[in-house]
Amino acid sequence: MSYFFQLVVSGIVVGSIYALSALGFVLIYKSSRVLNIAHGQIIAAGAFITYALTVFVGIHIVLSFLLSMVITFFLAMSVERVFLRRLIGEPIISVIMVTIGLMSIIDGIIYMTPFGAENFSFPEFLPKTPISFMGISMSWTQMVGVLITFTMIGAFTWFFKASTVGISMRAVSDDQFASMSIGISVPKVFGLAWATAGLSAAAAGGIIGNITGLNFYVLHSFGIIVFPVVIVGGLDSIFGAIVAGIIMGLIQQFASGYLDGHWGLYGTADVLPYIILLIILLFKPHGLFGIHEIERV
Amino acid sequence: MKHKQFTIMLVALSFLLLLGFSSQVMAGETYKMGLSIDMTGATSDVGTPYSKGVEDYVKYVNDEKLLGDDKLVCFIRDDGYKTEVTKRNFEDFLDEDIVFYLNYSTGSTMALRQDFQEEQIPVLPASFHAGNLEGNDYIFLPIASYSSQAVGLAEYVAANHKGSGKPKVALFLHPSAFGRAPRDDVKKSIDAGLAIDLVEIVEHGKDLDNTAMLKRFQSKGVQYVISQTVQPPVATMLKGAQSLGMIAKTYGEAGKITFLGCHYGGGPALVALAGSAANENYYWTTSYKMMTAKGPGRDAQFALAERYGRDENVAKDANYTNGIMVVQVAVETIRRAKAKGKKITRAALYEEMVAMNGFNAFNSLTTVGPVSFSKADREGVDTLQLYVSKGGLFYEIGAPFASEYVQKIK
Repeated sequence: MSYFFQLVVSGIVVGSIYALSALGFVLIYKSSRVLNIAHGQIIAAGAFITYALTVFVGIHIVLSFLLSMVITFFLAMSVERVFLRRLIGEPIISVIMVTIGLMSIIDGIIYMTPFGAENFSFPEFLPKTPISFMGISMSWTQMVGVLITFTMIGAFTWFFKASTVGISMRAVSDDQFASMSIGISVPKVFGLAWATAGLSAAAAGGIIGNITGLNFYVLHSFGIIVFPVVIVGGLDSIFGAIVAGIIMGLIQQFASGYLDGHWGLYGTADVLPYIILLIILLFKPHGLFGIHEIERV
Repeated sequence: MKHKQFTIMLVALSFLLLLGFSSQVMAGETYKMGLSIDMTGATSDVGTPYSKGVEDYVKYVNDEKLLGDDKLVCFIRDDGYKTEVTKRNFEDFLDEDIVFYLNYSTGSTMALRQDFQEEQIPVLPASFHAGNLEGNDYIFLPIASYSSQAVGLAEYVAANHKGSGKPKVALFLHPSAFGRAPRDDVKKSIDAGLAIDLVEIVEHGKDLDNTAMLKRFQSKGVQYVISQTVQPPVATMLKGAQSLGMIAKTYGEAGKITFLGCHYGGGPALVALAGSAANENYYWTTSYKMMTAKGPGRDAQFALAERYGRDENVAKDANYTNGIMVVQVAVETIRRAKAKGKKITRAALYEEMVAMNGFNAFNSLTTVGPVSFSKADREGVDTLQLYVSKGGLFYEIGAPFASEYVQKIK
């Protein structure tokens, strides 16, 4: 039985990190209807900034982690200001193409640094002995990762539900013209959406980097790995990202734990999320919690 | 007057042309090689130090005039780990009249086998897949194949197992031809009498957590995991095993798992990525000499890296060594062909490659044994060295060895 609960715990840990990684997609899509293809690169950039501040500048890793979120916040805001602001009102596909270009640009910049070609790991500051309870183990890194994830998700949920700026962002998401007519600055909302997505990406990068080590390919791949989470949860739902993230984490653990090694099956954890994705989309084309818009003609 | 000026100019021009021509003759020949490698793809952490090794050693050859007045040029191009780009790069290199080619991945080496055969060009890939040697005559593996490495590790496990019965082993493989390469040879070795119990063969995915797999291993009594993949998945697995308290503190510790890895699944780059999870008791095999193995090879590699401004991480990377070694072999074939008065062509270099054996084997200083090739045996260094990590550095265990069962199952 402890095996089952171990898989549940690991599934929740992995799932919550997926949710945090998926959050960046949701935050941008929620306000601007844009799918940011370069999100994985921003996750990687956040992790590398934390490492650089910790190792090269000598700042404590906790402070570096917070600073990297601030830096990525402004970095993402600048990206929106320089590359995307002028595309407001243009077809969505054009904006998505710009994010693909952005992905190549960030790739190129990172490849020009040692981070593009070398492996690194964060200095270890947490105890190495795992936390064990009734045969279930969890590392301190995972525990801290989960705590940060839930804190951030809670903060973002409050932000969108209760703060004026958050409500403005939701209003822009619903109808840009109506929002403008009541005095909301749509460009500012877009900038803020990118900035908050950058902030969450840096947090995700820091946590993933602590779990996997710092390898550019591994880190930026998370932009793709969390795609099923984003789609299953619903592109515009923070709650959906949390639920879908945890569902995916659990599915992967159970698949790996109960299917792999039996009946000649291996690698089911990589395939099953996509099968689940297809099934859910058959019945819920907008994802589990995505808003189904009905247009009056 | 005008006629006189014209004559003087003509004489001066002729003199300049003659001077240019003679200086070109004095400068000697230029030999061209090509390297298509992943510097911006999934394995850029391997490809980049490798390419730096190639680049630096080519510079060194020219700076130190190791080929006399002749010059070596190596065109280095990134292929992003994409076979179609590798093919295009190779075709471009052919247009440049290369006489020797350095390839990178298993996939592209296998895909271009026929092209190499048609072009009759000697090729040294960064892939050590034994399957590369099939269906062509021109691909040479620089060091012992992945099969030799994995079977060699399995032999070590069988010979040094602590506990009763056969040791229970799992293979952790990359989901590609590169990872699967040694799988069948390990099975054949078991059929031939290798005393291990192969409990599971896992092809990993892009996992953030390996808890389920590791717990399954533990429930099946797996005591040894042999990895044939790249460093990132090994690092994630080791970090997971560390968080579950599963890593053996000593070799073969009962109830724990001892992790072992082939060339690309270990080395200093793994320690850089996995941190304390790979710092101690990670067993790794390769045919390359490591920076912790004192000797002239190590000193020369450090000196080379320093001379061309490489940082310490690059200097001690096994793939930097890898890059140096393949150019060393190419240069040696050129040098030998020149010594015999041959014109440097692909055919001449191929002849020298297949004659590099017995007393003519090449001692590169960067490998644990001599490089020897023949028409029948195109696997370069036959011996392997087992290393173990201690305090984040890799140290030799015992003397270089050759896999016994790989010879048996051949």
